[in-house]
Amino acid sequence: MYDQARFTQNGEYEPLLSEKDSTKVEVGGDDSPLPDDLTRDSLELPELSEPELARHYTRLSQMNYGVETGPYPLGSCTMKYNPKFTEDVAADPNAAIHPDRSERSMQGTLEMLYHLQDYLGRIGGMDAVTLQPPAGAAGEFTGILVAKAYHEAQGNERSEVIIPASAHGTNFATAAMAGYDVVELPSGDDGRVDLDALEAAVSEDTAALMLTNPNTVGLFERDITEIAEMVHDVGGLLYYDGANLNALLGRARPGDMGFDIMHYNVHKTFATPHGGGGPGAGPVGVVDELAEFLSSPQVRRNDGGFELFDPEHSIGKVHGFYGNWLVLVKAYAYIARLGDEGLEDASAKAVLNANYLGSQIEYDIPYGPFHHEFAATSGEQDAADVAKRMLDYGVHPPTTKWPEMVPEAMLTEPTEVENRETLDDLATAFNAAHGEDDETLEHAPNKTTARRIDQVSAARNPRLSWHALGDADE
Amino acid sequence: MSFEVPDDLRYMESHEWTSTDDGSVRIGITDFAQDELGDVVFVELPGEGDEVTHGEEFGVVESIKAVSDLYSPVSGTVTAVNEDLFDQPELVNEDPFGDGWMLEVDPSDRDALDELLSADEYRDQIE
Amino acid sequence: MTRHEQGSPYAPHTSEETAAMLDVVGVDSEEALFDIPDDVAFTGEFGIDSRGERELRGELSRLFAKNDDLTEFLGRGHYDHYVPSLVDNLSLRSEFLTSYTQYQPEITQGFLQVLFEYQSMLVELTGLPIANCSMYDAATGIAEAARLANRVRQASGTTVLVPETLRAGKYGVVENYVGGTDLTLDSYPMDDGNVDVDALADAVGDDTVMVYVENPTVRGAIEENLADIGELVHDEDALFCLGSDVVALSLLEEPASVGADVVVGEAEVLGLPTSFGMGLGIFATREDYLRQVPGRLVGISEDASDRRAYTLTLQTREQHIRKERATSNICTNQAWVALRAAIHAASLGPSGLVDLAEDCVRDAAELAARLDDVSGIQAPVHDRHHFREFVAHTDQPAAAVAEDLEAEGFAVHVVGEHEIQVCVTETNADHVDALVAAFEEVA
Repeated sequence: MYDQARFTQNGEYEPLLSEKDSTKVEVGGDDSPLPDDLTRDSLELPELSEPELARHYTRLSQMNYGVETGPYPLGSCTMKYNPKFTEDVAADPNAAIHPDRSERSMQGTLEMLYHLQDYLGRIGGMDAVTLQPPAGAAGEFTGILVAKAYHEAQGNERSEVIIPASAHGTNFATAAMAGYDVVELPSGDDGRVDLDALEAAVSEDTAALMLTNPNTVGLFERDITEIAEMVHDVGGLLYYDGANLNALLGRARPGDMGFDIMHYNVHKTFATPHGGGGPGAGPVGVVDELAEFLSSPQVRRNDGGFELFDPEHSIGKVHGFYGNWLVLVKAYAYIARLGDEGLEDASAKAVLNANYLGSQIEYDIPYGPFHHEFAATSGEQDAADVAKRMLDYGVHPPTTKWPEMVPEAMLTEPTEVENRETLDDLATAFNAAHGEDDETLEHAPNKTTARRIDQVSAARNPRLSWHALGDADE
Repeated sequence: MSFEVPDDLRYMESHEWTSTDDGSVRIGITDFAQDELGDVVFVELPGEGDEVTHGEEFGVVESIKAVSDLYSPVSGTVTAVNEDLFDQPELVNEDPFGDGWMLEVDPSDRDALDELLSADEYRDQIE
Repeated sequence: MTRHEQGSPYAPHTSEETAAMLDVVGVDSEEALFDIPDDVAFTGEFGIDSRGERELRGELSRLFAKNDDLTEFLGRGHYDHYVPSLVDNLSLRSEFLTSYTQYQPEITQGFLQVLFEYQSMLVELTGLPIANCSMYDAATGIAEAARLANRVRQASGTTVLVPETLRAGKYGVVENYVGGTDLTLDSYPMDDGNVDVDALADAVGDDTVMVYVENPTVRGAIEENLADIGELVHDEDALFCLGSDVVALSLLEEPASVGADVVVGEAEVLGLPTSFGMGLGIFATREDYLRQVPGRLVGISEDASDRRAYTLTLQTREQHIRKERATSNICTNQAWVALRAAIHAASLGPSGLVDLAEDCVRDAAELAARLDDVSGIQAPVHDRHHFREFVAHTDQPAAAVAEDLEAEGFAVHVVGEHEIQVCVTETNADHVDALVAAFEEVA
């Protein structure tokens, strides 16, 4: 069993910083280096000592859950262990440089970026890679802008992006942000792309098809070659969402499957820490024909060194500077640590672990054969309640209620880092919840810091800063 | 589970209802719709004097996990808006045909009301 | 060392365990679990050699040592302030670092509270009631503000106005983000380092959707006419978007008090050392635009024991629910950087923040005065108050001066044929004497 840390004071959990102290400092006046009309009047924030802060944040950390706390089988999120040494590598003071230095004075940084571009190209089967997008969603946006630039250069503006109904929500939002209409593709009965539906959807208006493979229930799109042909036949491009690349390392490459553009989720595939919601990095790879459109700048070799260059018809910038540098360093270190054998083994064990866990749980898994993740259904039980109950058994639950093609879905991805014993613990949590009644599930969780949180009250009465606190209590 | 479907109202397939009063008609969403949505947390409505068009969006209703467009059963001018919903969106759940009403509209074409679903027809749709 | 003989050092399986698990699953080999048609199967090699941890640390350390050892006097949107050890130590706690987005709030109260406190600090600094958990950087923040302006605009306009001095990187990002809308970007002139208010008044019209103003400007000058600018922007019903950073906001005019509708900029000035441009985008706005805010918001609620608890809220704005009608496609943002910035800000406290910001004004003025005494240099170019950085005129071509300075071990910006820009904070202040001496050599 499991109990998460829970600090309480005066009937509440750990107080806010502002409840520990609130100090108002007058700004301006005679000692100020600025005239008063250029300064604010005052600033009111907590003024606390280092030991007080250390305790506050340590307590808050203990009221949180990370990969090192326990298994984190969120499907499609790929929460795997983040090797410690990558933090040390990223903290190298020689790497802490300003982006506006001269190129000649940042050769080490450029060399690493060059090698990372190269590594990612090899892993994805892509000919050119940009490292600039600061997250997977930003990578999608970059990739779709590349597709748009390509079509425009062909004198052939297109208006639609086709996306399977089961795709990540970001795909839809990305296509819309780039100004495209979204054509939603229903899933076939076998959980894969329905070729007839695709045939009906593709047209001269198709700019791209965005696809995840294995798809969001873990199935490999076996017809990928036909799919690619159908899209290419109408002049469209095939976009690979890299969310599930951790299933395929060394066994299949998007470039070989006919994809023209892809993004890599470095946290999902290359073990950079998720940080509770970023920073991420979403490098984008493309085939030769599209390299001239990639974001600028890129890194290339020159005589005896490395230099930045702008691709000839670049879409321009997608980040103010060069993206999330520290994350890229960690991704590079991870790839180099694993090498060919390690990467291939990571996928093998990720798929083995998912299949082993799938075989040990009592919930139905409607679609297979799956790879690194599976979508179980909680049937008559509410998947969200099952998830809350699993928290009481000391594990993080899977992604719930998504994708919608599986009713009450529990999308589960244990990743390669769990051993058999932990997978058995996960199965125990699933199976315990499976045998419990609705009332028990609805009253969970009990062992976490907070009990079930009222989402409705948060949304009906938004209180988004400690300044709003007084209003709510009145 | 059975849902309330008042006989004196007219319905849209998209689960909006309208009254058929003389003068302005009242518009809201059905008991079935509020149940499907779950706890309503936010309602966005047009202002008084705005025009709404039969079959077109006039607003949005949100729960925690879903967003639904609202489609107008009639064409006409908005004569009243239920501003209570801005502070108490839960009224849509608690009393969808009463305090949870959304708009009053002065219809430009009253005959169009006859083309909407009757209570029996709507009941058939949701069963 | 792992018992796992080969392959990934971070997969714990022994070969016996692997065999036993395969047996349970009912297949002979890992290969049998892959449903990949032969025609797309990859049979080649990446050609990436695995290196040991010690080996790799050495390799990367040697690689980064190829960066020249320069003392940087660089800014223009990416700044270096001293980051206390407290920040590293606490932020590296694995419960924070290795956690996911808080989709299960009951087990992630700690991170949610940190983000709530971060939002609250930004509310205090900007005077605006809504601040999100972060954007990627300042550039994407401006871009998202323009997209918000497009969604809420009253008029039929399509023009977004930005300063003519806006960094090319920011301009490019905004251009890409508004590419899918009918918005167009245009610039307004500057006058001696500040907004040319008369020219801006001429430029703003009923076709203007948003005006973006920076304080301090990219050339380091403190803007003197913000209230007037706010008024003239609002007279045309356009959105007033102000760019700044969290240290500057601690001292300079409160954005809400000059009528800002959206505040964007960098919070990375706290929490991160120089990181090759990695950012932490601020996004704060007025209550009216709450449902148009891009990105994540943490709010207060109650749990089943009636205690105050935190949760991500108003998620119907976001891509995972609203899909193509989301306010933005952003999901993963810069949460851990926000955590670091919040710890850093908390460790400074209000007095520390104001002191640091005042030093940014004093140190810049002092260095400008000292460079002005160097023959061949006039500084600052703009007759304004400055924050951290300023532009200096060089009688020699600026590129040559910068190159010579680099040979002496200093990095500065070249921003014109005869203009360099110099940025000073507490992290390079100890090297100011040496920098001035180097200028005397080369200018």
